Amino acid sequence: MFVLLRQLQRIRSECALPRPARRGSLQLRHVDAGSCNGCEHELQAASGPAYDLARFGLSITASPRHADVLLVTGAVTTRMRGALEIAYAAMPEPRRVAALGDCALGCGLLGDPSQIAGRVEEILPVDLRIPGCPPDPETIARHLRELLAR
Amino acid sequence: MTDALSLTAVPPGLWRETIGGLGRRGGLPLSLFAAAGPDGFPEVRCLAETGDGLMLAVCPALDGAVPSVADVVPALHWDEREARDLHGVVFTGHWPHRPLVHHPADLAEWTTPVTGDDVHQVAVGPIHAGVIESGHFRFHCVGERILHIDVRLFHTHRGLEHAAEGLAPDEALPVVRRACGACAVANSVAFADAVEQATGRFPDDATRRARTVLVELERVYNHANDIGAMCAGVGLAPGAMVFAHAKERAQRIIHDLTGHRFMFGAVAVGGSGLSIGADAAAGARGALAALGRDMAAAWRALLFDASLRDRVAGAGVLPHDEALRLGVVGPAARASGVGRDLREDAPRLWYPGFRAVLPAEPVGDVAARMEARAVELAQSLALLDDLLAGAVTPGSVTTVDSGGRHGAGRVESARGGTTCVVELEAGTVRRVHLRTASYANWPAVARAATGAILPDFPLVNKSFELCYACVDR
Ligand code: SF4
Repeated sequence: MFVLLRQLQRIRSECALPRPARRGSLQLRHVDAGSCNGCEHELQAASGPAYDLARFGLSITASPRHADVLLVTGAVTTRMRGALEIAYAAMPEPRRVAALGDCALGCGLLGDPSQIAGRVEEILPVDLRIPGCPPDPETIARHLRELLAR
Repeated sequence: MTDALSLTAVPPGLWRETIGGLGRRGGLPLSLFAAAGPDGFPEVRCLAETGDGLMLAVCPALDGAVPSVADVVPALHWDEREARDLHGVVFTGHWPHRPLVHHPADLAEWTTPVTGDDVHQVAVGPIHAGVIESGHFRFHCVGERILHIDVRLFHTHRGLEHAAEGLAPDEALPVVRRACGACAVANSVAFADAVEQATGRFPDDATRRARTVLVELERVYNHANDIGAMCAGVGLAPGAMVFAHAKERAQRIIHDLTGHRFMFGAVAVGGSGLSIGADAAAGARGALAALGRDMAAAWRALLFDASLRDRVAGAGVLPHDEALRLGVVGPAARASGVGRDLREDAPRLWYPGFRAVLPAEPVGDVAARMEARAVELAQSLALLDDLLAGAVTPGSVTTVDSGGRHGAGRVESARGGTTCVVELEAGTVRRVHLRTASYANWPAVARAATGAILPDFPLVNKSFELCYACVDR
């Protein structure tokens, strides 16, 4: 444990992440609506020690009930459409939807049209677009902070 | 060059003996799928090791039916269910047929009836609490004890194989690659190998070396991720964070070398465009060595962490015979003492003298699966140290024969043996089938977690750390 904590301490000081000036917080609920897992890896990295989304007050919450933002990855498949709509319906107002990654934005190669319900935009009102395939953690953090400023 | 693919037409009457008897003759079935035959009628194809090479056995589905082999080769159970759902082929004797890709509303259609005093179901997913892919589990429990798990995947089924049909191989590659971000390299190389084999081409030394660099880099960041995920699975934050950062360091090195954190676009069909100058290679080599030292130190600390050891030892045991029966692959198989690794015989990649490494006590528990990652990390870093000793230069392929219609590619991904079978027609993909290591191993997750308590499921699940997207495609 001591070795791990010492390594962590070194990682923290090497990353030297600045403290944000602005205060506030947003709870994020992620839904994979048909992604390749690349966007998930980067979203997870954004919460890791090198980017530490939590320092901006941005954290992943377990339930859409507690969420301010629904972060949707992937083209929405026919099999995920229902679950996505249920998660959105469970959220309290005010709520925001962020489309994360080119698939969610509908600008990638999506697959067989008969298996895809549509872009996130065609199913839910999208407030924030985070482009990239996948967007790197830096980009994810930057866009989410924009939402915090709104 | 020992990877010729022999095509064998098998009449339905001999299908069970041909596929079911492979094990007795020193062979091994690898994947099974349906396709439209040359006359447009459906047929079932099975890729198998025969003991002296690879065979693609083909059986016509007369009247839409083929004898089932799932009872004698349980590893092909999901394959048959998928072929029935997607191509309508009936597997005679496969009963009851539970849909795999299709999602009927009626529970009785897809779950196993489990009854008895106090047996109840716990439904989880498709949306999970963390940042996790979508999938649904139905636990049949008494109290917290898991009696049986029905896994329902394919929530992220995008129909990628179908979408790739009719495209030229280099256009089909990015479609197939979208199957999975974390296995993008392994899946792409398997596809490229399959296409090159079908067209009678063989990668030159430079291409083989370049692809091996990419495959091993992918393994390094995935294995680091997996060890961190298992720490997270027991709530050991320092371990989770240190390995999350190790993964991040690996991905930054990867980005410097290939221009993309997941190496999207780094693999091509018919050669390799990857170019790493001697200085960049030396820089990466040094960075990887430093990363290796830090990971080794962190791993040693984990070996002495009492609370971690207590949770992982004896948890989620997958016995050796079950690993064999279910056709489990990769670190999960090696942790159960199945010493198979496709890198031992990979003529299209660059693994001279490679021997699989196993954990010291391959007893099939979470601890063994965790250690499998650690020993393979050290091995992959040593391979990369060798491969990056000089510049990585672009490569091409050489024509070795006239090829055929079909080709198969096999790559040991971070999660294990991945198989891609391609059929070409007039320069385009007529059928492509990707069977990833995750596909092979999902049934084993359910098996290993049977008998565990519900709160241990996330840990058992993470010890396999399979992709959903790789399965769903
Ligand atoms: S945008 Fe790219 S990384 Fe994200 S899910 Fe789509 S293919 Fe994967």
